[in-house]
Amino acid sequence: MNLSNLKNKNALELNTLLGIKDRDILVERFRTLGLPSKKSEEYRYFNVEKLLEQEYKTLTYVPKTLTPSDKIKIVDGVVMAAPQGMRVYSEACQQIDMDHFDPLYYLGHLLSPQTIKIELDGDAEVEIEHKFTQSDALINYRIVLYNQANRHATVYENFVAEEIKNTLVLYGYDMHIAQDSTLRVVKMQNMQNNRYAMVASHKVNVAKNANAVLKSFDLGGDQALQLLKVELAQRAHVDAGHLLYLNEDSKRGTVSQIVHVGEHSTSKQEAKNILDGEARGIFDALIRVEHSAKYTKAEQNSKAILLHEKAYMVAKPQLEIYIDELEASHGATTGQLDPKQLFYLQSRGIGYVEARKMLVIAFANTLIEQVKDSRHQERIKETFEEVFYAVHKEHI
Amino acid sequence: MSSVMKIENLQVKIGDKQILKGLNLELEPGKVHAIMGPNGAGKSTLSKALVGHYDVELTGGDIIYKGKNINDMEPEERALEGIFLSFQHPVEIPGVNNAYFLRTALNAKRKHEGKEELNAAEFLRLMRDHLEMLGMKSDMISRSLNEGFSGGEKKRNEILQMLILEPEVIILDEIDSGLDIDALRAVSEGINKMKDGKRSFLVITHYSRILDYIEPDYIHVLKEGRIIKTSGPELVAQLEEHGYDAIEEE
Repeated sequence: MNLSNLKNKNALELNTLLGIKDRDILVERFRTLGLPSKKSEEYRYFNVEKLLEQEYKTLTYVPKTLTPSDKIKIVDGVVMAAPQGMRVYSEACQQIDMDHFDPLYYLGHLLSPQTIKIELDGDAEVEIEHKFTQSDALINYRIVLYNQANRHATVYENFVAEEIKNTLVLYGYDMHIAQDSTLRVVKMQNMQNNRYAMVASHKVNVAKNANAVLKSFDLGGDQALQLLKVELAQRAHVDAGHLLYLNEDSKRGTVSQIVHVGEHSTSKQEAKNILDGEARGIFDALIRVEHSAKYTKAEQNSKAILLHEKAYMVAKPQLEIYIDELEASHGATTGQLDPKQLFYLQSRGIGYVEARKMLVIAFANTLIEQVKDSRHQERIKETFEEVFYAVHKEHI
Repeated sequence: MSSVMKIENLQVKIGDKQILKGLNLELEPGKVHAIMGPNGAGKSTLSKALVGHYDVELTGGDIIYKGKNINDMEPEERALEGIFLSFQHPVEIPGVNNAYFLRTALNAKRKHEGKEELNAAEFLRLMRDHLEMLGMKSDMISRSLNEGFSGGEKKRNEILQMLILEPEVIILDEIDSGLDIDALRAVSEGINKMKDGKRSFLVITHYSRILDYIEPDYIHVLKEGRIIKTSGPELVAQLEEHGYDAIEEE
């Protein structure tokens, strides 16, 4: 399949090309938004056309009988294993956002009429491992995630890839965070060696009095973009943190819309970006406060450190506000490591590379330390060091 | 007695400005050398030059340390070889844990000396006594490096680093600035503890107050980028009475 063939097609042609029927509303939404290109605002800084123009083999998704495991294992878009007793099954998505900004959100739903549905019971803590084993493939799947009211669940997401190449992964969540509950999602993704590229398109509904804590740790190289839309009901809260540590010529980042719909809803969005080599980091984030969202509090901040003269950060924090009764702030800074701090560490016998690593981790630490589980925190730090030393090995 | 550090005709620029203009100085092992001088004489520039600070540009002369020219040596190499600067204004580094930083520095030095690295428990045991002697609260080591520390706490932390790293040449740049009398006593006690007849001290100061606590062997007067007079401790009283203007070049 070559996704660029979907460009400028009418509904009938799209139905034929995608082999679908009875999904006219979704097709129309996709057609209206159009296949993303560098002219699309949300994909402007991400080389999406190159990814869409490649020829991919398509995979057949056949649900498997799940084997018991300590984690949910999804291999090439198919769930293979799950903890015993956890409700993980295949089902058509019942609630698709008809006002998402990302055309690939709709393409994802069109390509995956059956989604992976995960229901988190009680105060569950679960790890989801995404594994990719196919080269030159288009791997497409969507996950629908529900938690229970008044409960506090945590999901740790991890990604592994075999020795593959030229694969494109389109995936994403439709999360429904129930009233008076908390859902924490901690994503850790280390990409290297151009094994696969990824576009992840999410929709998060946060119900009344609920908390969404979304932490994303994107490390290494390659091409990946996450597009996130969050809708906040009355007194709902989202805490979205994003750490980027990129090297080589990677392009990765977040394009987001946080929409305050309910009164007294609050949002905090913090991005920390460390860019090495010729990497490009993307933080294109909009907070929209609707007429209905009086007494909103919204805070948005992006900080970037450039470790190389060719590294580049695109930071676009934006507010779109329709009411007066609110507190909102946003800002973005880009800088380099402080030479005074670097010298201080060196003056105590700590080598240049080690001193830089300490400062880079110090910069990232405020986000890493928000991961409550020390095992996962340690894993993020270890991966962080692995990526750091891969870049700086010649200086050690 | 042969010197541990010999500074010959040192010329240093910061930016476009020539600060040190042919400075000569020899540090003897086990001795306390005090450098005194008016504002802008080049005292802090000298300390920066000795530790390889990025601000300074050596335009002439040599720094010979233990018989080796260290003009081109990196700051971390100088530290590993035993040169230590207690900063006038220690920098704050949020996110770098004080204990982790110090253990990393100590283990870098131990590795350089071919010794085994210390684990966290061994390191904490080593640090406990020093903390008590310096009157430092134990939570200071679990905080970020110098972040939110008072002026006195920062200076005590510098001395803690000195005690742990056990350097051979110790440069104290305005160690007494911003210290109350109790902090000055604690810091001085830490410094005096390091006086073992082998280590050399270079105490850079405006005022004689610190020299009441750390007895110097030599007083050097630095003015307009050069040492213009070297004498015994009796010179302090003369400086107190007549000021730097009364000192004539030898």
